[in-house]
Amino acid sequence: MANETLAGFLAHSIELESEARERYTELADAMTGHHNRDVAAFFLRMAEEARHHLAEVAQLAQGMLLPQLKAWEFDWPEAEPPETASYEDMHYRMSLRQAMTLALANERAAESYYRNVATSSDDQDTARIAGVFADEELSHAAELERLLAQLPENPLHQLEEDDDPHMPE
Amino acid sequence: MNNAVQLKAKDYKSAVKPIWCPGCGHFSVFNAITKAMAALAISKDDTVMISGIGCSSRLPAYVDSYGFHGVHGRGLAIAQGLKVARPDLTVMAMGGDGDGFSIGGNHFIHACRRNVNMTYIAMDNEVYGMTKGQASPTTPMDWDHSKLTPHGPGVRPFKPAALALASGAPWIGRAYSGNPNQMAKLIAQAVEFEGFSFLHVMSQCITFCPEQTDWKAIVHERGEPALTDADEAAKLFLHEDGFQTGLLYSERRATWPPESAVPQSEDALGQLAASFRV
Repeated sequence: MANETLAGFLAHSIELESEARERYTELADAMTGHHNRDVAAFFLRMAEEARHHLAEVAQLAQGMLLPQLKAWEFDWPEAEPPETASYEDMHYRMSLRQAMTLALANERAAESYYRNVATSSDDQDTARIAGVFADEELSHAAELERLLAQLPENPLHQLEEDDDPHMPE
Repeated sequence: MNNAVQLKAKDYKSAVKPIWCPGCGHFSVFNAITKAMAALAISKDDTVMISGIGCSSRLPAYVDSYGFHGVHGRGLAIAQGLKVARPDLTVMAMGGDGDGFSIGGNHFIHACRRNVNMTYIAMDNEVYGMTKGQASPTTPMDWDHSKLTPHGPGVRPFKPAALALASGAPWIGRAYSGNPNQMAKLIAQAVEFEGFSFLHVMSQCITFCPEQTDWKAIVHERGEPALTDADEAAKLFLHEDGFQTGLLYSERRATWPPESAVPQSEDALGQLAASFRV
């Protein structure tokens, strides 16, 4: 008999990783257009991480009939999937440190989501797989913490524009 | 273009990369449109995006459908003309608050009145962003970030939903760029509505109005069925805080043109043209 709980969970996981990959790719393109190359490269790396995890989930889901949900039919703790970077947190002049801090928060949000499923699901398979995913997100967060610790501080960095808007005076 | 296979949202994106500022709310609108198109399994061949001028009006280039980046404020005029000439097409017009409520303000009120079966998405960031941050018709009175209005514009901002209602729009919704999935649902509903559907999107400008990131804490979903009574809707739109989202008002009304005005024979247009020949 098909495990509907697991199928629903994997559909959510696929959406979570797909959205994270799409958003990071989109942000990398936007940062490239605004000559913020360090942050663009970092977001591309995050997109690649999400793509990697997506491939793993897709492999697990192979042969299963997953529910076909519309974008607004998924059940997330917030408006968007946990690993998706919010637009409100972006700025074209953001530093690599700010980008990494943001990505770290996203990884922690994903870990929290998976951990919650792992501890609350009545289905043993779902709980076990969610636990594995939570551990994976935790390892991503630890790696980001390590990278952040190595990154030199730049107290001079600021987001404000360094040129006034064009005005006929 | 073959739509036999179920397309995903990303399949509706063109190869042209958006050049909006990272964090711009318009990315969210773009994603919501493609998600709605995927959910409705809309044919790319039968869909047209039409815009005016401004940051938001770049959007048609980013969608893998037909599109027209028109003249400032004239997106609605072009879109209505196309829909009347080709009622088989799904027509969406979009633009910013300056394009839609100032330069194109007259087209907006008459589009609401006329009720052609199409969707209009106004991406409102309360500022002229492409020209580097001047006050628009929806800018708050005391917004003093521009040297052109150092003490704020000093005039009351438009209330787009109230304006749309007073002008006769039969479908009025509001979305927020921080919630692209709810916006996608509203866009899908707007496209499926038989008549002129107006979606007002609060779409933050991270560069010239960074204070709009506070919207996330203020925006709230209305969470009630859409009003169907214009009097009640008028009270709502005149007295609300302007931050509630959802489908706010919906009524059924005859669309334009009436069927009696549509040429029935294939040669009708030819005969009409011939009557003007000298």
